[in-house]
Amino acid sequence: MNTTALKGKRCLIIDYGMGNLWSVESAVNFLGVPCEVITQPDHLDGASHVILPGVGSFRLAMETLAGRGMVEGLKSWVQTGVGCLLGICLGMQLLASESEEDGTTKGFGFFDSRVERFRHSVDSHLQIPHVGFNSVTFEEPQGIFAGLKSGCDFYFVHSYRLDVRGTRGRTGLTTYGETFLAAAQLDNVWGVQFHPEKSQSNGLQLLRNFLETNDSTC
Amino acid sequence: MLKKRIIFALLYDNGFFNLSRNFRLQRVGDLDWLIRNYDFARTASYVDELVLLNVSRQVSDSANFVETLRFLAEICFVPITAGGRISNFDHARVLLSNGADKVLVNSLAAENSREVFRIAESYGRQSIMLGVDVLRRSGVVTPVTRHGANALITDVFEHLSTMAALPVGEIYLTSIDRDGTGNGFDSELLDLLPQPLEQPLILAGGAAKPEHFAHLLDDPRVSALSTAHLFNFVGDGLLRARNLLLSKGHLLPKWQPEEIIKLKGSLQQ
Repeated sequence: MNTTALKGKRCLIIDYGMGNLWSVESAVNFLGVPCEVITQPDHLDGASHVILPGVGSFRLAMETLAGRGMVEGLKSWVQTGVGCLLGICLGMQLLASESEEDGTTKGFGFFDSRVERFRHSVDSHLQIPHVGFNSVTFEEPQGIFAGLKSGCDFYFVHSYRLDVRGTRGRTGLTTYGETFLAAAQLDNVWGVQFHPEKSQSNGLQLLRNFLETNDSTC
Repeated sequence: MLKKRIIFALLYDNGFFNLSRNFRLQRVGDLDWLIRNYDFARTASYVDELVLLNVSRQVSDSANFVETLRFLAEICFVPITAGGRISNFDHARVLLSNGADKVLVNSLAAENSREVFRIAESYGRQSIMLGVDVLRRSGVVTPVTRHGANALITDVFEHLSTMAALPVGEIYLTSIDRDGTGNGFDSELLDLLPQPLEQPLILAGGAAKPEHFAHLLDDPRVSALSTAHLFNFVGDGLLRARNLLLSKGHLLPKWQPEEIIKLKGSLQQ
């Protein structure tokens, strides 16, 4: 970890043309942390927290990010350890090793899980996308889940999910027909499949936990 | 376990929020009224989801609608679906870039489904809610578009069978006959739909008291129930309804509404 003290918090949200950034920005601002939307990797300098949001196609997202040099840029930024990264929804999926959406596409590889479509049996009648509030279970109310109770509800809307075979960073689990990885935390890389900016007090508390971490604790 | 949802819908028409009865509108107040007098941020902290519909019948101030959406997304931390009068992909894109998590399409899906495919290609089918309005006419349930002005030559079963094949993530079914009446949801509609539906179903029209929700929350065919009545659950009415339903064992998500205001500015330096 870089021991350089940060002068205040500076949260950046990566815009690559996919998803509702305004709600993430509003939630961060609501908590009292200034934030900016960026599109290029050289804008990452000086960030204490970076959020990678997104909805839509995994392949298109990786192509867009790679085209801007953001894949390498973000990996380098994470390695410097000066701040924390949080992937939300598709943003979390991009942090996994690969996705089967539209053929196999490599992700950032922080989490050793694979992104796959829900594997429901035809007779289960479970609808896809998985949409609505669902409970997330975790072992300790710390890190991502500080101040929250295991089993609390968050808002999900997705058709693909991280499998639970990967163990690196496995933090929170949710069951919808099958159990999948709902939250992961590995050093200064965090990911949540649900939308904390859309999950009332539970989500705001989680975002607060993320924004509260600093270079020595995340 | 996946919970059921209670949705609050706001009906917007040229700067004003409206009550609707059988799709006839009555102006109630503007955004300033909604925020200051109605204390909408608090109301929103009691529901699972918001729907903001532009129900203008004539030419509409879509720029103000987008501003309203942006403002609501700034103070409400629940999913927001925006819709009404969406005429093409670009229109949907503007809403999805300004605070909407999902867009509701109704007439567009029935009249120009190609645009629905375009939205799905960019944002995924989970970003699209299909709106279906139905009217009972001499015993036959007929889907209608254009705010009820245009009856489709099909029945609700056939219409939903066709529409459910579009790349949409949810279906928002409104009974115009029950809309704003307070007579409870039209649960008989559920028997007329294809089963199982591929998409989660939201039922709207008629809710006025907790019993109306209780009656349907246990029905496996329903994922969410919606109310658009500004005064049936005024003040902390939705919170009381919610707590009553939870105490009776209904599966609704739990959080602490009073914590939200405590979290505001809590990381200010």
